[in-house]
Amino acid sequence: MLTLLLAVTEPAAHGAAPGPIEGLKDTFAHFGVEPKYLVMQIVSFLILFGVLYFFGIKPTIATMEERNKKISDGLKHAEETSVRLAAAAQESAALIKAAQLDAQKLVDEARKSAKEFADKQNAEATARAADTLAKAQQAIELEHKKMLNEARGEIARLVVKTTEQVLAKKLTDADRAAYNDAATKELSVS
Amino acid sequence: MRADKKTKALAKQLFKLSVVNGAVSPEQVAGVLGYIEKVAPRNSLGLLKLYRSAIVTELAKSHARVEHAGPLSDSALSLIASAMTKKYARPVSATAQANPKLLAGLRVRIGSDVYESTVSGQLTTLSNAV
Repeated sequence: MLTLLLAVTEPAAHGAAPGPIEGLKDTFAHFGVEPKYLVMQIVSFLILFGVLYFFGIKPTIATMEERNKKISDGLKHAEETSVRLAAAAQESAALIKAAQLDAQKLVDEARKSAKEFADKQNAEATARAADTLAKAQQAIELEHKKMLNEARGEIARLVVKTTEQVLAKKLTDADRAAYNDAATKELSVS
Repeated sequence: MRADKKTKALAKQLFKLSVVNGAVSPEQVAGVLGYIEKVAPRNSLGLLKLYRSAIVTELAKSHARVEHAGPLSDSALSLIASAMTKKYARPVSATAQANPKLLAGLRVRIGSDVYESTVSGQLTTLSNAV
């Protein structure tokens, strides 16, 4: 840069300067730069830039934009999915809670039914036991009455037998004759 | 061998012929037996058994057997016979038979009827009542 400035400022210091264009040409000539080559280089660069832009940069930018769009769509979809997931989780929690309530209700009903069944069984068993007890008591009472009747009959038989034996010994012919007369009158009247 | 209906009917008819004025007539019985012997109807043995049973039953109705314990006077016996004659409206005879098991009293049997007034009977009734 310093060299370039020295080259530009040197002719001005020695006398009348030819002008800026001329100076620039001199500078280019001094450094061996040919304008036609420079133009060709610029044109070649533009062509290369155009080719690179249309076949390299532009598709790459399009691909990146598409990818960015996909990423943004994915993020958006992820948000929707997360929202939907949260809703689904909430719904599943509600369903689970309802299912738990239903299950608890069923368990309560089953427990209630089991208790009622057990109570009914207990009542029936109690009634059956009471019936059996009543029948047993009736049987005992009947047996007791039967025993009493048998004892009473046996006692009566013994009393009659003893009385017969006593009367057979104690009754005199006079007593028997008097009884026979009374019996004759009784049978004659009837 | 059981008697058939005709045999029973014939035995009943012959029995009716044997009873005169409510009492079995020996002459009629002899005539019935002669008839059976002469005619010899079918199943005569069964007929004779039925006839004999009917005659025995009828004779039992005309006879009172008086069982007694202790002395029984003839007047009491005749009193019982007259009472039974009046009761059954037929001539009834009475015979005495001692039975010490009665202890005291009388038991009169006429056919299948029994009249009793005895100490043993009263004791038996008492025993059954208890």
